Amino acid sequence: MADRPYISIQHLKTYFDVTRSLFEKRQIVKAVDDVSLDIWPGETLGLVGESGCGKSSLGRTIVMINKPTAGRILVEGEDVTALRGEALKRFRRDVQMIFQDPYASLNPRMTVGEIIREPMDIHSISEPDARDARVVELLRIVGLKPDHIRRYPHEFSGGQRQRISIARTLALNPRFIICDEPISALDVSIQAQIINLLKNVQREMGIAYLFIAHDIGMVKHISDRIGVMYLGHLVELGSSDDVYFKPLHPYTRALLSAIPIPDPVAGKARRRTMLQGELPTPLNPPPGCPFRQRCPQATARCGETMPELREIQGHWVACHNIER
Amino acid sequence: MAENKLLEVKNLTVNFHTEQGTVYAVRDVSFDVAPGEILGLVGESGSGKSVSMYAIMGLLAQNGRVEAGQVLFDGQDISRAAFPNEKSYLRTMRQLRGKDMAMIFQDPMTFLNPVLTIERQLIEPILNHTRLTRAEAKARALELMRQVGIPSPEKRIRQYPHEFSGGMRQRIIIAIALANRPKLIIADEPTTALDVTIQAQILELLKELTRTTGASTIMITHDLGVVASMCDRVNIMYGGKLVETGTDREIYYQPNHPYTMGLLSCVNNPEEEDRPLEPIPGSPPDLLKPPRGCPFVNRCEQAMKVCKLRMPEYENLSPTHLSACWLNEKRRRERGGERNG
Repeated sequence: MADRPYISIQHLKTYFDVTRSLFEKRQIVKAVDDVSLDIWPGETLGLVGESGCGKSSLGRTIVMINKPTAGRILVEGEDVTALRGEALKRFRRDVQMIFQDPYASLNPRMTVGEIIREPMDIHSISEPDARDARVVELLRIVGLKPDHIRRYPHEFSGGQRQRISIARTLALNPRFIICDEPISALDVSIQAQIINLLKNVQREMGIAYLFIAHDIGMVKHISDRIGVMYLGHLVELGSSDDVYFKPLHPYTRALLSAIPIPDPVAGKARRRTMLQGELPTPLNPPPGCPFRQRCPQATARCGETMPELREIQGHWVACHNIER
Repeated sequence: MAENKLLEVKNLTVNFHTEQGTVYAVRDVSFDVAPGEILGLVGESGSGKSVSMYAIMGLLAQNGRVEAGQVLFDGQDISRAAFPNEKSYLRTMRQLRGKDMAMIFQDPMTFLNPVLTIERQLIEPILNHTRLTRAEAKARALELMRQVGIPSPEKRIRQYPHEFSGGMRQRIIIAIALANRPKLIIADEPTTALDVTIQAQILELLKELTRTTGASTIMITHDLGVVASMCDRVNIMYGGKLVETGTDREIYYQPNHPYTMGLLSCVNNPEEEDRPLEPIPGSPPDLLKPPRGCPFVNRCEQAMKVCKLRMPEYENLSPTHLSACWLNEKRRRERGGERNG
């Protein structure tokens, strides 16, 4: 493995001001609140959590679609949060994103060839004449046919569109791709096709992934490590087997027990840790652990201070009640 | 199979007439539901799973037509053909829906009317189908809200849908569905829009309600995990056809149809050792011109010449397990051949 992480996120915060009028009290949504993590070259880091936990905001902040409120994002040692203009463009060449909805993320007025070629035109990759040949090669890599080049997105199914998105992302030979729920809009038999494609591409090109999804079965399948987010905080981080089979944080345990298992005997026998209530609003959260209102083990201390992410044998967890 | 059946569907065939031509959405589908059981209906988008349910309830879109088939509900023939005219059919269906048959939809926000209070929406089906007074209906509504686990119902009943979270809205829809103690609940992807922890709450609630009310439930879903943890029996649909049906264990542990097997190898059971996913190549057939034979023929690795030409008959693998695949015929012939030789 390389000697330093490809991306190092340090105390990253992304807050959104949602105050509706001048006369209202300031309303801040802390979408990402003090998250630190490293992503190594060629690895897949899975990020799970419920809607509103900040996993997508974190992904979007890493590519600087959202501006971070505080904290640093180091890419190979260089802080990218201060980048502007050409330098930012250069950074975005290496860091790409695949979105959830393959219907919304492709321009319906452009042909598949134009869609895949556009990033190369923008970043002046290779000679203009060589670009079309590269488009054909990319189509082959993602499992589409060369004659698809002149077709429009509406002629393709959801799974094929996601392949087009992947081809466009690969056009720049990125080092790191953020996959934001890339399979959740697809049918089951197509999901497996896309997951295998992503794995093959990674093996051949050595790309690192941040794989954001709520389907923990799939996340466990594709990831080397898994991070769990709750209300803007990273509450647990560890190898995929450690997090799945030996979860430490009470939230992770409840989340995992809620997954329906595709096995009728084990699935029906499963004892679930039912969480009471729902995700609280991230508007002006009270101090202390964000999970304490739903936590079966909460103590007085949980209401006072936010637990730090601590390491226990290579497995990180933010909870006061876990013994070292 | 169970001698008493709540719902019996025979040879249901549904077409849609569109500008591009006729879409053969459901083709010759037969199955039944016993009282108190949970039947899973699994298939990809466009496999005909929702359309077959809408056809049963008489809720097809304007361009949809039931071309053939019979639907027996609780002993009564409720196929359109059993009625002298459209008007009497619609009247009967209106009386059944919301009373003996209820439906739970995927998206709670589009199902609920945003400008009416929860009270109005909950007591409407009660007033429509019973002789209860408004006050009695409200008492029943409060009882229903308690039953589906909505805290402080007296206060919540006066609120509007936007004041509820997704999980709470889905609970209200379940309460509306239960309002007149239905015999059959059809749940169309009831938890797809919800988060895992909320999904677990709703599934647990649905399971408990079927147990306590004795209603039968048909769960339409594409999530094999949800089916495994909820359903007693499973129907697998593909390309408008029912390709395999069996108990939960038969489908998961002894799948027979190559599509069912393919579907099961597309999902990762996180409890087990990671194994490579084996996706089914290709994509589902175009139902404007469905294959003449088996709908799965173009994606099936074991397809033979006959699969293209003729739809296979159902093979009885057990009293509860049926599968439509030519490979069974082939295996039988091979076995027979060995015995003769």
